[in-house]
Amino acid sequence: MRLRAGARTDTGRVRPQNEDAYMTRAEQGLFVVCDGMGGAPAGEVASEMAIQAIARELQNHENGDALEASPFLPHTQRLVDAVRQSNEFIYGEAQKDPRQAGMGTTIVSAWIREQIAGVAHVGDSRAYLWHNDRLEPLTRDHSLMEAHIEAGLADEGHSLPVEQQNVLVRVLGREPAVDVDVTEVPVRSGDYVLLCSDGLTRMVAESELALAIRTYQDPQQICDHLIATANKNGGADNITVVVVEVTGGWWNRLLNGVGGHLRRTLSREAASSSTLNDPRPH
Amino acid sequence: MSKLTLQYEGIALKDYAVGAGVTIGRLPDNAVIIDNPAVSGHHARVFEEGHRVILEDLRSTNGTFVNGRPVTRHVLQHRDEVLIGKHQLVFDQNAAATQPAADAPMQGLGDTVYLDTKQHRALRATLETARADAAKPVTTRAAVSSVPRRVGVLRVIAGSAEQDEYSLDGNTSIIGRSNTALVRLRGWFKPAVAVAIAKHGSGYVATAMGGKPLVNQSPLEGRHALQEGDMLTVSGLVLEFAWKEGVRAESAA
Repeated sequence: MRLRAGARTDTGRVRPQNEDAYMTRAEQGLFVVCDGMGGAPAGEVASEMAIQAIARELQNHENGDALEASPFLPHTQRLVDAVRQSNEFIYGEAQKDPRQAGMGTTIVSAWIREQIAGVAHVGDSRAYLWHNDRLEPLTRDHSLMEAHIEAGLADEGHSLPVEQQNVLVRVLGREPAVDVDVTEVPVRSGDYVLLCSDGLTRMVAESELALAIRTYQDPQQICDHLIATANKNGGADNITVVVVEVTGGWWNRLLNGVGGHLRRTLSREAASSSTLNDPRPH
Repeated sequence: MSKLTLQYEGIALKDYAVGAGVTIGRLPDNAVIIDNPAVSGHHARVFEEGHRVILEDLRSTNGTFVNGRPVTRHVLQHRDEVLIGKHQLVFDQNAAATQPAADAPMQGLGDTVYLDTKQHRALRATLETARADAAKPVTTRAAVSSVPRRVGVLRVIAGSAEQDEYSLDGNTSIIGRSNTALVRLRGWFKPAVAVAIAKHGSGYVATAMGGKPLVNQSPLEGRHALQEGDMLTVSGLVLEFAWKEGVRAESAA
């Protein structure tokens, strides 16, 4: 198994600065996206701190043991421990420096080892799995909206007032301890894992995420296309996308190389002809 | 005081006070700017006439729709949905005049706000009472830490293995050469991960990851929900899936 990653972040068209941050370490199988809290003090500091804390935790003891007994695989549990530690770190820093008081960040992280992706997240940054030509969500937002949907009070996107749509119920760095949601999923050659901030998912429908993966196939091209689409649709927030392609060994790539190229060409043609059906520009 | 809420894919982007009148279009001189090629430069306008609010299409290329019907001139009713290109504008007749949003349009999506645990608990409590049936667990965490009443096991039917029976306690159980595997396969040419078995709701789902594993003598393809009596064949090892009743002590406790 081999991982190919693409990534891109963009300020968008409304916000004055980019408070998102990301990390891709394809060799290690580690991928992280953080969205610093918009407008809040030192949002960009918090997201950067979270990334660095995770990197530090998981770099030095690559094969260290998980801190506690866990139903999850060791690497998944270590990722969760690292997310918890980065929360403590950001919270501690915020207490020290009044200019950084109240800073916070979301996090979505995936550690892929031996074909199992461990995914840990806090907040409304998301992870998706592309498997068997289908896009599956791996995370549920820790947002007021999601809480309403869970309670059966709202349909997705519809009945919550605008000013309540940005309310998060869990972030890193705001309280001394945080609950981290965890999931594990097997990944196979041909699968993609997509991590993103809400600047993407609020601007681009899930069906368009799926179409981008199917059409472009190359991780960096998928990211570039999705950022452009989010900006075209308004770019109301910072946008960050990380796309990880799971590929087979070199012999698989050799076997699929010719066929894969042909498929890409065909699906691009299909995609470009479908755009002709869109409403006519003025 | 009435307002229009701009939405895309059902997600509210921005509120606009109708006031004396607003124009909607792609160009920057409009009050409501929708930067999309399907939207005309000056696409439509909304204005007050007496105590009515009128929507008028400005001979746009792709038209203006209200509740799915094309219109050229339309008296807006409360909650009317105006479709322009791929964007929607929802008309609200009774937006409170005291709302600051009515005068100053919101900046983009607005800033992200965080509810601390105390506020969140209070909210949860109100949501809990509103919840139709409280049977569903609230978080995935609760589901993970609860003790399952029955657990799946793999019984070794044929081939050599370290144990006679493997209990599928973990969230993900691996059959393979990996040292994190529950069922360890020995030998250089065995796959690191041959089969991954994941807990899914109250059951288990097996996915073939490497080699050529079989389920009930047929190739294991895609995701297979394990049933009592299923036979997995992995690198010469034959394993039977079964349910085991009885309360198991939680190892983490």
